Amino acid sequence: MSGKSFKISREELEKVIQICENIERRGLNPFTVNVRDLLMKLRRMLEENKTLDHYILDAETMYRIATLIALQQRWLKERAQALFVDAQMIETRLIAMDKKSIVRAFLKAWRPIISLEQITIQRLRQGADHFLSLAPRAGGRSWGWKVTRRDVELIKGSVKPEEEVAEKLKKLHEELLKEYGLRGEVDYWSFIKGRNLEESFERAYLLSFLITDGYVDVRRNPLKNEIKLIPRERKAERKQPASLVIVMGGEAG
Amino acid sequence: MSGEDTFSRRLMTAAAMLLFRSHRKPGVKGWELKYRLGKNYMKVVDALNSYLKRIGLEVKTVFEEGEDLDKARFYVVLAHPLTLSDLVTAGWSIDEVAALAVTLSILMSRGGKAPLRDVLEVLETKFPRWKAEAHVERAIRRGYVEKLDDDMLTIGWRTKVEVEQKELLKSMLELRPEEQAQEREESKSA
Repeated sequence: MSGKSFKISREELEKVIQICENIERRGLNPFTVNVRDLLMKLRRMLEENKTLDHYILDAETMYRIATLIALQQRWLKERAQALFVDAQMIETRLIAMDKKSIVRAFLKAWRPIISLEQITIQRLRQGADHFLSLAPRAGGRSWGWKVTRRDVELIKGSVKPEEEVAEKLKKLHEELLKEYGLRGEVDYWSFIKGRNLEESFERAYLLSFLITDGYVDVRRNPLKNEIKLIPRERKAERKQPASLVIVMGGEAG
Repeated sequence: MSGEDTFSRRLMTAAAMLLFRSHRKPGVKGWELKYRLGKNYMKVVDALNSYLKRIGLEVKTVFEEGEDLDKARFYVVLAHPLTLSDLVTAGWSIDEVAALAVTLSILMSRGGKAPLRDVLEVLETKFPRWKAEAHVERAIRRGYVEKLDDDMLTIGWRTKVEVEQKELLKSMLELRPEEQAQEREESKSA
């Protein structure tokens, strides 16, 4: 057996290995390769070159072909799951359709996970208290950010004490009662409107507590797209509580 | 404590475990439920499921290694499809969901894997390049899509839980432009 023929068959085997690797890595159709032909060629080359080097390369090629067969099985399974849909056809449709139609089609198949991830003002205060109560480490740090007295004051100041919130709620309730006394049912949007967006958000946030606590009733008219507020002097017991989502400054796509 | 009390306490524990996120990813493994609820945890999960179904939610089991329940992951998902207005209320934008739908449809129609370049090519027919890239990045961050080293995209863990593959491809094939869909709905209601 000449060295030249070994070199050629080695190149051929390396080419086969590369093709198999490419198919696996790029997710290409594994049926583009004729496995039967490859195996016949491999057998022929093995009979012609009976050296240790060739056996090793042959084993590597055999392993790649076996992986390719496994890929073919997986490909068939996935295509069956995907109803043997032609990818080109899907892409053509996606390009032709408007965004809303695509979203409508997607919603039929989408069931989002529900999970809660929230922190309450009490937990935040607890966390801040715990952090501030930690003893400083011996020697302190010579690098990075350090908590200064000013930071401590800032943290304390940024978490509004409960009394302050309660005072604001009381004021808002009184304001609503006064408004109701003058004009009757109060429009939600005109009531929450503040001097700026930040104040409007704060008024809406505080009002939600008054509503939940039973100090304010909400009447919604979907035909006129109106939300009216009816305040109560005393707290009312909610027999059938319901949730109402009001979007402020949301994006409508 | 009566047997009924114990069961309802277990039901509450199961609800808290499944609804409150305690790991980086949502969902709870079967063995975690078994540890907290006892070996008959599936009875508790089934009871919780029937409660949740009344409010439009359900417990979904996703097997990760064979059919072993202990190694499966349990999630609470919506039981019915969302509407377009629900979507906006939930804080999603139409653009973002459209980009997600396009990306997942391409991946699923190609057996779960496609080059990033090909996905961006289709997305660029709807969005400017920078926006298309931002949408893909967000889908990767949220776990809908995974990016491999060689710029290949594959289906992420969240898609496997939340999206019905067959249903998606079927509805994409049945796609009609918005006006046609509205006309069809109107004729149905008439």
